[in-house]
Amino acid sequence: MLDVLRARADWIVGLALAVALAVLLIATGEEKALVIGTTTGSAYGMVALGLVLVYKSSGVFNFAQGEFGTVALYALYMLDFEVNYWLALLGAVVVAAMMGFLTERIVVRPLFEAPRVILLVATAGVALLAIGVQIWFGDAQGKPIAKGFDRVDRVKVFGVQVPDQQLWLIAMLAVLAIVLGLFFTRTNLGLAIVGASQEPTATELVGISVRRLSSFVWVVAAVLGAFAALIAVPNGGSFAPGIMTTSFLIPAFTAAVLGGMTSLPGAFLGGVLIGIVQSVATTAPLFEDIPGTKETLVVFVVLLVVLVIRPQGLLGKGSA
Amino acid sequence: MTAVTATEVSDEERGNSQMRPAGGGRFRPSPIGWLARAVIWAGVAYLVLVVPLGQSPTDVQQFTRGVCYAVVALSLNVMLGYVGQISLGHQAFVGVGAFTSAYMVTTQGQSFWMAVFVAAAVGGAQALVLGAVSLRIRGLYFALITLSYGLVAQDNIFEIQELTGGGAGQQAPKPQWFETEWRYYYLCLAFLAIVLYVDWRMMRTKSGRALLALRENPRVASTFGINVRLATLFAFVVSGVFAGLAGALIAHNDTQVSVDVWNFNLALVFVIMTVVGGLRSRWGLVIGGAFFALLPYLIEKIPGFDELLADIPWVPRVLTPEIAPLVIGPLLLLINLIQFPGGIGQQLRPITRWLGGHRFDIHDKGPKEVQITDVRA
Repeated sequence: MLDVLRARADWIVGLALAVALAVLLIATGEEKALVIGTTTGSAYGMVALGLVLVYKSSGVFNFAQGEFGTVALYALYMLDFEVNYWLALLGAVVVAAMMGFLTERIVVRPLFEAPRVILLVATAGVALLAIGVQIWFGDAQGKPIAKGFDRVDRVKVFGVQVPDQQLWLIAMLAVLAIVLGLFFTRTNLGLAIVGASQEPTATELVGISVRRLSSFVWVVAAVLGAFAALIAVPNGGSFAPGIMTTSFLIPAFTAAVLGGMTSLPGAFLGGVLIGIVQSVATTAPLFEDIPGTKETLVVFVVLLVVLVIRPQGLLGKGSA
Repeated sequence: MTAVTATEVSDEERGNSQMRPAGGGRFRPSPIGWLARAVIWAGVAYLVLVVPLGQSPTDVQQFTRGVCYAVVALSLNVMLGYVGQISLGHQAFVGVGAFTSAYMVTTQGQSFWMAVFVAAAVGGAQALVLGAVSLRIRGLYFALITLSYGLVAQDNIFEIQELTGGGAGQQAPKPQWFETEWRYYYLCLAFLAIVLYVDWRMMRTKSGRALLALRENPRVASTFGINVRLATLFAFVVSGVFAGLAGALIAHNDTQVSVDVWNFNLALVFVIMTVVGGLRSRWGLVIGGAFFALLPYLIEKIPGFDELLADIPWVPRVLTPEIAPLVIGPLLLLINLIQFPGGIGQQLRPITRWLGGHRFDIHDKGPKEVQITDVRA
């Protein structure tokens, strides 16, 4: 029994933290922030899942993760004129998956032996290239984007309306987290990826090609980024070039760091936590006099505090 | 790492000395060799100093921007090349410098010189604070912090109406005596020369060599009595001062600073031009910075470039000068990282060595450690 508990320690600690936070917020009358934060945080969590996957398998901070999503948004925008929404959505996810695959093949694989910071610069280059091409082929203006579900008044939690689109996001995230969790603990491929991230040499020795696993992981990460963008961004009604990098990437990284950079449930919880902190802090009197949007500043402060005080994250083991 | 490098270099030297003519001594070019070098030097000087005189004011403004970007590249090089910490938020340092200088001149009525001094000081102070807070944070995590800081600058610092003048932007007139584009160009060249000189002297001092040792291995460095924290902070401040200075120069070149140019894309362009230029290679950095600043200008000047693009199917629009760096830059970066990790500087090294009075050796790529692959993860 104790062994089982220990094996699931990060889940249990995470859930306990989440419940404690929820109780605290409800007790202090901030339940609205809880609802809003959970919905925005779910998108961060989904992007963070992709970041953690890539970090686990290749040790790279993937700065192109956000742009997988924006490229998918563009694909959805273009395809939506031609075909049915759901078909367009599928097409957009396929486009993102292809981008993930090509990024791994063309950029990551030749730099397999290079230090991780070089890969970081390279993925940042991929992100900038994606933004540049978006502006080049389209323009810098915002574009309208369609939703999957239009009804907004079906569900009300603590007096806050949660649109169906948001519910879909949360459901999708929960399903993905569970599927990925099972995948990494129960399937051969998943275990091989975990092995490759922990001990590449030994993994090669037992006959698993670490490089081949890497392209699979990048495709999965790209699909996660695409889903986050395709479901979360339409709530705002429009999108612009680089939107996933400028407004989702850093909160998602903060979420991943908060979760310890290698923990999937940690990334998920970290995302929700960042969402809640953002929505509490932006209404707090402390931040009233600060000009501009406060969300960015809140994320910066959280990131700095976490990295200085507890660099291994809330659920991480060992040093970061 | 250091030891290995040292052996390799000395092996190379030995190889060279065997090739030297008997009678030994240092290689000296023949009179014809000197003449050839002098001609090339004169050509470079002509290109930099005389050619702009015959150009239109708008073109000269572009050249000045090239000089300013060279300063930015040198600033980023101090962090990336000497300390081994990557800054993805350098547009914040440069941008705050630009706004500070414009604010000092327009709102506070100070002189240009005072404004440049304050901008450089603010840049240094900013870097000092960020460096001090994040001394424990290295490599990938430091990149995150700086990127996040850059976004904060974009969303919060540049939203301070008094500093930035809001949507209209802040005016930044050119200084007295340097009102024309040409004079201001020479002023910026002088500043670039000072920055190059400071950078060169700095790496010859004890603290400069301490930095290089530190990049190789902080633990070994500290056992040799190097104060790791102090040396790192010192480099941060130098980098911040250069960035603030570059910002001020850019502000007064454009005569108006607006908020929307200091964005995330610019930060990435800065990193790309530094890496493409070649870390720790001063000439490479200057060329890299100038190249990226002049990319829009070059694209306009290349005849038939638009027609060439229009002939390619699938490409819907012409590549406008504003977008060009965002598309061409990353492509160059990726080619660079995968094929030529030493950047422009390393590729040019045989020529720069030759110009410095050494033997021409096409295989001279400098010491092995001159690679961007040694930034600590």
